Amino acid sequence: MSNTNSLLTIKDLYASVEDKQIIKGLNLEIKPGEVHAIMGPNGAGKSTLGYVLSGREGYSVDGGNVALAGQDLLEMETEDRARAGLFLAFQYPVEIPGVSNLEFLKASVDAQREARGEEAITSAEFLKEAKAACKQVNLPVSFLKRGVNEGFSGGEKKRNELMQMLLLKPTLCILDETDSGLDIDALQVVAEGVNSQRSADRSFIVVTHYQRLLDYIKPDFVHVLSDGKIVKSGDASLAHELEAQGYAWLQTAPAEDELEG
Amino acid sequence: MSEWLESAIARAQHLDDWLAPKRAHAVELLAQTKWPTRKTEAWRYTPLRPVERTTAGKISDDVSLSPETIADLTPIELVFVNGQFDASQSTKELPAGLSISLGQDLDAAQQASALTAFAAIKPERHLFGLVNDALAEDVVLVSVAEEVEITQPIRISSLLSQGAESHTRVQVSLAKGSRLTVIEDIQSQGETLSTAFVEYDIAANAYLEHYRFALQTGTNLAIGGSHFNLSDKSKMHSSIVGFGSDLSRLDTDIIHAGEFADAKLNAIYLLDGKELFDLHATVEHAMPNGTTEENVRCIVADRARAVFNGRIHIHPDAQKTLAALNNRNLLMSDKAEINTKPELEIYADDVRCAHGATVAEIDKQALYYLQTRGVSRSKAQVMLNFGFINELIDLMPNAALAEWVRPIIRERFAQMEVK
Repeated sequence: MSNTNSLLTIKDLYASVEDKQIIKGLNLEIKPGEVHAIMGPNGAGKSTLGYVLSGREGYSVDGGNVALAGQDLLEMETEDRARAGLFLAFQYPVEIPGVSNLEFLKASVDAQREARGEEAITSAEFLKEAKAACKQVNLPVSFLKRGVNEGFSGGEKKRNELMQMLLLKPTLCILDETDSGLDIDALQVVAEGVNSQRSADRSFIVVTHYQRLLDYIKPDFVHVLSDGKIVKSGDASLAHELEAQGYAWLQTAPAEDELEG
Repeated sequence: MSEWLESAIARAQHLDDWLAPKRAHAVELLAQTKWPTRKTEAWRYTPLRPVERTTAGKISDDVSLSPETIADLTPIELVFVNGQFDASQSTKELPAGLSISLGQDLDAAQQASALTAFAAIKPERHLFGLVNDALAEDVVLVSVAEEVEITQPIRISSLLSQGAESHTRVQVSLAKGSRLTVIEDIQSQGETLSTAFVEYDIAANAYLEHYRFALQTGTNLAIGGSHFNLSDKSKMHSSIVGFGSDLSRLDTDIIHAGEFADAKLNAIYLLDGKELFDLHATVEHAMPNGTTEENVRCIVADRARAVFNGRIHIHPDAQKTLAALNNRNLLMSDKAEINTKPELEIYADDVRCAHGATVAEIDKQALYYLQTRGVSRSKAQVMLNFGFINELIDLMPNAALAEWVRPIIRERFAQMEVK
């Protein structure tokens, strides 16, 4: 498994929230440039995976290990994981009144540039970049002055997440149910934004409940997450299969070793 | 009575100087005072055990301590080292219209009038104020002549070395139409005990800009008071910044003794570890048409404890008073404690008086969100929660002091842990 080529390697991961085990022996390997979709029923642990990988307080790792570009991810602070190239697009982005979006974006970019030993970007230069990113995700420039996500609609919040991704240029993006609460137009904007960022050195984990998003963001691999582990993996066609069958078959699923084999 | 107070009284009886009548009066009151316990309202959340146990005592040795240099600030220095006035470090050449002198150096007539003014503003209910009356040796008198504006701030520094006990007292008088800035600062090291009291008599149309920094931490025990008497159309603007220690207690009294007086008081305190800071702020509106605005903002981390008692007393004659008292607190941990008690007593019927106290907890979700974008925890903490402190720093009229204290406060806050 420890392929030197892989960007992310998750080995036998166990994690819990408030003493309740949610992730139960999860394995996943992602190479640079790949797009992996993780699908599954509610309560399978899809969002938990993103929180565990980003190091959210209250989520404890009980076993296994995770390497991002060869570094032990689980040993790192949340901010250091971000600086190492991890980006989590939230299902429910947090509203922060009193901190302007621009200040927030600049602080994020500054912190990451500093961590990479790069020179700080000037305010004027940054404003230019931020305005361009706004345009790309179809958000009015006035949103830069507003409090972070404050009073944004569901779609605006998701586009704001995407804008952060454009500015931070991560190597691994986890999109946590980015499609939830989006109408078809908003979904297309987000998908186009994601697609524009696909490159040979950037990978994606697209977490979704529905196959719909995957019509716009074509995955290289699709994994089914159920009860804290991956029970089935396949190519993009698996998503269509799931759409047709639903997740009910998982209740009576055979042992996972058979499926993984 | 505690052993500590008994010994303080015994020491006071050896002092025989121009203040003897006042000292005797204080000792008499102290002898009748019950040593505060948990049941004593004014000391309910602030146990005096650290005072009972202190090993700090009078140190007469020469020690070399100097006031901190602050960029872009050249104050008129008034320095006490371990309770003794240090003439060598205090400014000798004073601008016209300002006089600073030691009580014992005054002539008999001057002493007689200084004696009348002594402890005339500071209320007698302050236990350690009485201790200070009885034990402060080098009492310094500052006065500004009528209509004179002193642009250079006066800095009163009380410097203490390890193990020292100090009692400092300054009497400030602003004559009609004068303007003055006074900075009160304590710098202490190791285990110390200090009482530091200043009385301000602000005559008609005069303006006092006031700062009090109580940045001592650890085993430094600091009890003090700033007491202001406002005459007709006089104004004061006070900014207080405190960190906690085993015992930090400050009493402020603002007395509207004239009409159309205006008082502003902004206090910030940031407490960590097991520190305690207690601010008892009292405003007496004795005359009509006065205005008071008080903002107290506090961040408490770990197991620290903040106490704020804000009393505004509007007397029957004080019609048309406008008074507002606002207290905002941020708790950083489940074990941190805030005891806040706004007290309004209103005996006039045509007044506007508002008060409010809020306690907020740190938004852990927002903190996490910022961290997932690469912003460090400490920077995120400051971004999210420094705003309400920053607002009060921005209100400090003296830019050099604001820019000196801002990074000190920010740094302390950045080090506090969310628990």
